[in-house]
Amino acid sequence: MNSIALKAKNIVKYFNDPVTLKVLDDISFEVKTGEFVSIVGKSGCGKSTLLYILSTMDTTYEGELEVNHQKVTGLSLNQLAAIRNSSIGFVFQFHYLLPDFTCLKNVMIPALRLGKYSYKEVEERAYEKLKMFGVEEQALKHAGKLSGGQQQRVAIARALINDPAIIMGDEPTGNLDSKNTAIVFDLFQRLSKEFQQTIITVTHDEDFARRSDRIIEMSDGRIINQH
Amino acid sequence: MKLSVNSEIAFTYLFARKKQTVIAALGVMFGVSMFIFMQSLMKGTNDYFEKQSFNTTPHIRLYSENKVADTHILDSFIKDASVKILVNPKQLLQRQGIINPNGVISRLRKDPELSFITPQVTTNVIYTSGSVQLNGTVAGVDIIQEDKMFDVQGNMVVGDFRDLNRVNNSILIGKGIAGKLSLHVGDNITVASGTGSPMIMKIIGIFQSGVKLVDETKSYANIVQAQSLLGKDRSYVTDIKINLKDYNKAPAKAREIETITGYKAEDWVQANAQLKTAFKIRAMILNSVVGVILLVAGFGIYNILNMTIYEKIKEIAILKATGFSGYSVISIFLQQAIYIGLMGAVIGIGIGFLITYGFSKVYIGGPNPTSGTLSYIPMSFYIPHYVEAIFFGLITTIAAGYFPARKASRVDPVTIIRG
Ligand SMILES: Nc1ncnc2c1ncn2[C@@H]1O[C@H](COP(=O)(O)OP(=O)(O)OP(=O)(O)O)[C@@H](O)[C@H]1O
Ligand SMILES: [Mg+2]
Repeated sequence: MNSIALKAKNIVKYFNDPVTLKVLDDISFEVKTGEFVSIVGKSGCGKSTLLYILSTMDTTYEGELEVNHQKVTGLSLNQLAAIRNSSIGFVFQFHYLLPDFTCLKNVMIPALRLGKYSYKEVEERAYEKLKMFGVEEQALKHAGKLSGGQQQRVAIARALINDPAIIMGDEPTGNLDSKNTAIVFDLFQRLSKEFQQTIITVTHDEDFARRSDRIIEMSDGRIINQH
Repeated sequence: MKLSVNSEIAFTYLFARKKQTVIAALGVMFGVSMFIFMQSLMKGTNDYFEKQSFNTTPHIRLYSENKVADTHILDSFIKDASVKILVNPKQLLQRQGIINPNGVISRLRKDPELSFITPQVTTNVIYTSGSVQLNGTVAGVDIIQEDKMFDVQGNMVVGDFRDLNRVNNSILIGKGIAGKLSLHVGDNITVASGTGSPMIMKIIGIFQSGVKLVDETKSYANIVQAQSLLGKDRSYVTDIKINLKDYNKAPAKAREIETITGYKAEDWVQANAQLKTAFKIRAMILNSVVGVILLVAGFGIYNILNMTIYEKIKEIAILKATGFSGYSVISIFLQQAIYIGLMGAVIGIGIGFLITYGFSKVYIGGPNPTSGTLSYIPMSFYIPHYVEAIFFGLITTIAAGYFPARKASRVDPVTIIRG
């Protein structure tokens, strides 16, 4: 079982504002299905930028990206949205929930969008996910009324709801205490080992990175080391 | 819970901003109810005047018209390409009246779309009573048919109009004539036309149409009486009055009758051209008022959605990041517009109906309520107005919602999420 979940080929990214800046310079790597990869590097080296491209949200780059053997570079925005909905779970650097909705709804919405399960099933699954991260008691609270750490855990639950083939996190544990970080790490590891879900996370937590399958180290928009 | 996610999100956003939602809906409600009120008033008034005009004019009047001399005789004799010019063409005297009216009438009777056909002899006369004289017109009619077409009975002040058929040399005069010549039922009046010899006629009744000019000049006589008043024979008929089952078909029917009979057929639209112009101008004024109201309501919706999108831009970005397509985002925001519009439209037609009903009960006091003159504000209750109101209300909301929704759908999630 050595298929490739994600493949980046010569990715180059510029920012033109205020001056043209090459943020990513010829990034190429592969991630195997079920692999748990950490991306590390100094602040401002382009980790988030890379992750946005890998997640198909950012389409203004040079190079080529494949997700699950499908070339996604050049697909229409709506096609990409469908891919994200079904195959990619994303945890943002700053947990972004929808404050007008309850936590439960927040977790449910991507699944309702996907429409694979009935409303009841989606609700049950969402509860399950919230329970995994110990925030089931907050389920019916509005998302805006949670602490930062709680919000982040709800956001992780949301990323997992559609059983995506690839889970991406931009410092998903950045706001969590060591106990909850451990929970998230163990869960990620289980997802990758038992369910063959591919995990790509950006992290500043050295311990977290060291225990993952592989570390990709970046500096100034380049991959300088993989181990 | 059968709602789609898009609808659920749309509803949540609407409920999260109850106040703005209600205000935007109120705008639509106002536009829709005003639309209904104005349309009802306009149609009510127009219908009233239209009906009023049918109290005096038939749907189609067939008569023989004097023609201006033209070159067609020359054309048939000199068949070359020369240009023929008539210097100072004049009206040609035709034989007055309709030739073989019975033939024309029996032919028209075969048309199933015509409901009434009745001949008439119209003549200008001078009424004389004592030493006082008055100009006017006598309509020689079949009074029973006339009643069916124009409700003579409803206009009767005193007397029985059927006496025109029973009493020899009888006449039914307008109230104005009776007043000016101080005549009563049973009195005699001398009537003289230009051609025949004057006749002394017995007044069997007095009518009032409500139109002053008519009441001061018009009287009815039996058609035979009118013919002898003019010194003409029994086949002399000046007009044939025609009513249709559907008066809206009159203009087309009139053209058809013209080609069949060769006489001039004037439909009620032509006869009341000034009425139609007034309708048009009124419609223009009212429609522009309603248009402005709906436009303002549209701006209200545009505004609230724009504001929502501005505030929710991060959330739109998240929705897109978690896999909502541009179409879904358009759907979410367009649905909000549509719900606002529906809410406003539904309440609006209710209120529009109530206003219309209320106004229809406002007494504005006609001079003589029994004779069909205006006593309450004429309002029509016409279902299509309500359908149109909903239609225009929704069109406005959809148009106003579409542009903000499209803007939302174009939000680039990365730019927003990166912050
Ligand atoms: N919209 C933008 N326009 C111009 N430059 C940008 C923009 N967004 C990011 N950058 C620049 O691109 C570089 C990479 O940013 P990025 O957010 O990827 O860093 P990062 O590695 O995620 O840092 P951190 O660890 O602090 O999150 C930075 O130098 C940043 O200033
Ligand atoms: Mg970052």
